[in-house]
Amino acid sequence: MTRRAGPLLLILPAALVLTVFLLIPYFNIVLMSMRMPGNGVPYASGWTLGNFAKFFADPFYLEQLGNTLWIGAVTTLACLLIGYPVALQLARGAGALRGLRYGIVLTPLLVGIVIRSYGWTILLGNNGVLNRSLVGWGLIEAPLPLMYNGLGIIIALTHVLLPFMILPIMGAIQGIDPALELAARSLGAGRNTAFRRVVVPLSLPGIQAGCILVFVLAISAYVTPALIGGLRVKTAAVSVVDALIDSFQWPFGSAMALILAVIGGLVVVGFARLTRMKWVRAR
Amino acid sequence: MTEVSLRRLSKQFGSFRAVDGISLEIGHGAFVSLLGPSGCGKTTTLKLIAGFEAADGGAILFDGADVARLPAEQRDIGMVFQNYALFPHLTVGGNLAFGLEMRKRPREEIARRTAEVLDMVQLQGLAGRYPRELSGGQQQRVALARALVIEPRILLLDEPLANLDAKLRDEMRFFIRDLQKRVGITTIYVTHDQSEALTMSDQVVVMFGGRIAQIGAPEDIYDRPASRAVADFVGRVNVIAGQVNAVEAKGYRVSTELGDFVLTGTARPGQTIELALRPEAIGLVAGGDATVVAAAYSGGLVDYRVRTAHGRVLEAQAFPVPRFAVGDAVRLDVAAERLWPLA
Repeated sequence: MTRRAGPLLLILPAALVLTVFLLIPYFNIVLMSMRMPGNGVPYASGWTLGNFAKFFADPFYLEQLGNTLWIGAVTTLACLLIGYPVALQLARGAGALRGLRYGIVLTPLLVGIVIRSYGWTILLGNNGVLNRSLVGWGLIEAPLPLMYNGLGIIIALTHVLLPFMILPIMGAIQGIDPALELAARSLGAGRNTAFRRVVVPLSLPGIQAGCILVFVLAISAYVTPALIGGLRVKTAAVSVVDALIDSFQWPFGSAMALILAVIGGLVVVGFARLTRMKWVRAR
Repeated sequence: MTEVSLRRLSKQFGSFRAVDGISLEIGHGAFVSLLGPSGCGKTTTLKLIAGFEAADGGAILFDGADVARLPAEQRDIGMVFQNYALFPHLTVGGNLAFGLEMRKRPREEIARRTAEVLDMVQLQGLAGRYPRELSGGQQQRVALARALVIEPRILLLDEPLANLDAKLRDEMRFFIRDLQKRVGITTIYVTHDQSEALTMSDQVVVMFGGRIAQIGAPEDIYDRPASRAVADFVGRVNVIAGQVNAVEAKGYRVSTELGDFVLTGTARPGQTIELALRPEAIGLVAGGDATVVAAAYSGGLVDYRVRTAHGRVLEAQAFPVPRFAVGDAVRLDVAAERLWPLA
């Protein structure tokens, strides 16, 4: 074996897994999206681009796509606003409880997805814990609409995706040399200015990574939107599954899945370009 | 220019007295080094002066005004950190402008002073580079420029040469000292490297265990150490025992295993004293009752270990000519004026 073959051999298992379970199915989806729709069967013989045309011609699907991207964007922003202070605390805070706090951050990921979503329905429903308490205390007259709408989906997604925002930001902040803040102070910056001018910009790579992770996971989430949104609010991912499983329209479902993937990808690329940091070392 | 004085300054971490009531006067434009092993309190002292740590007791005066209660950003200090602490997300120009922006200086002034200071550290034309695109020595000079561009009252340097390779370190010693003299700024330099402290400073402050062991000019510290600990820490030293056997008009006569010597000063007859003798103050002459047990050639000089007739091993340092080999019989030629009695 030559020396060059060594590293190549090491990535072989991963490459195999990706090829068999990702690339080949993806290629299949691309082919399927261009098949003719069938009647009573998943697809008919012949090829067409009509599945894509059908999607873009129908305002219902376009609005749903828009809603999905909106839910993804708001979830990302909510995770950022809630997660940043937590990440800062975890990165900078010392003490014996650090392990515990770290564990608490990961708790959303430790509960099964169905149980977690069902938990949210108990909390958010019209007859749920939250609404009953608020009505009981006389704070509101009628239950707030927290479920079967975008808000409920955003609340539940924010909960589960928060760790994906916190962990990269925490990593970025931990990587900041504490002497940089001292340097800023010695140059005349107060604590807040030093934080704003030094810590925040240097945590941008973590913010960028966290935002991309949360956005991608939010727009492609299925179980949470399906359980919380119910039949009234559907995200694009839910519709894809409906088309594939319920109405047996394999070509149209594949086309929708591809459109969602491409548009999500474009948003991510655009975001990464907008937030490109010239000072970050190219690795 | 600013006079700095520390009055009974102290700082405790838990039960550890990092700085234990030190007092120090630093004159206008002086270059003072705090020298000591790690954990001696030199860096903590610097942090107290900078305002990064709050003192438990004592006062820090800049030109007579106590600044101990002021936060770091109001003390008007320039600081150079061991790893430079340049802002990686800002260009060299951005790093230099930072302190001036904090002082809300007009843009033209910032541009002018940034260019001036880049010129001063010989980095013209590098304003647009990011720190990671610079060599270690260049980063070091940017850090110096960033500290000086705000025209601070005092300059603090925390082991600034520790991360440079040997040749660059020697160059930077001269560069920093020269720059400091041109600017005329009062400078406090923290180091554990005795040769840095000796070559650069007007005054060296040797610290052990949070206290000052000796304050003096480099020559005082090296030739006239206040204690065996100072003598040991600053360079290599032979310590030999002597007995005062006569007090004379000009001083006293002391007898040692290397012979009898007359030293200036006062002593009681019969008193036992310890004498410090630097390796380079012992010359080797061929033929005698001492034996060379080790010889290490280091270019300009040779380090010898020599066993005396009494069985004691002493360190000596000499020019390579004449050269002695292990096993050679030699006589030790002691420069009596270099013997220094330790307290």
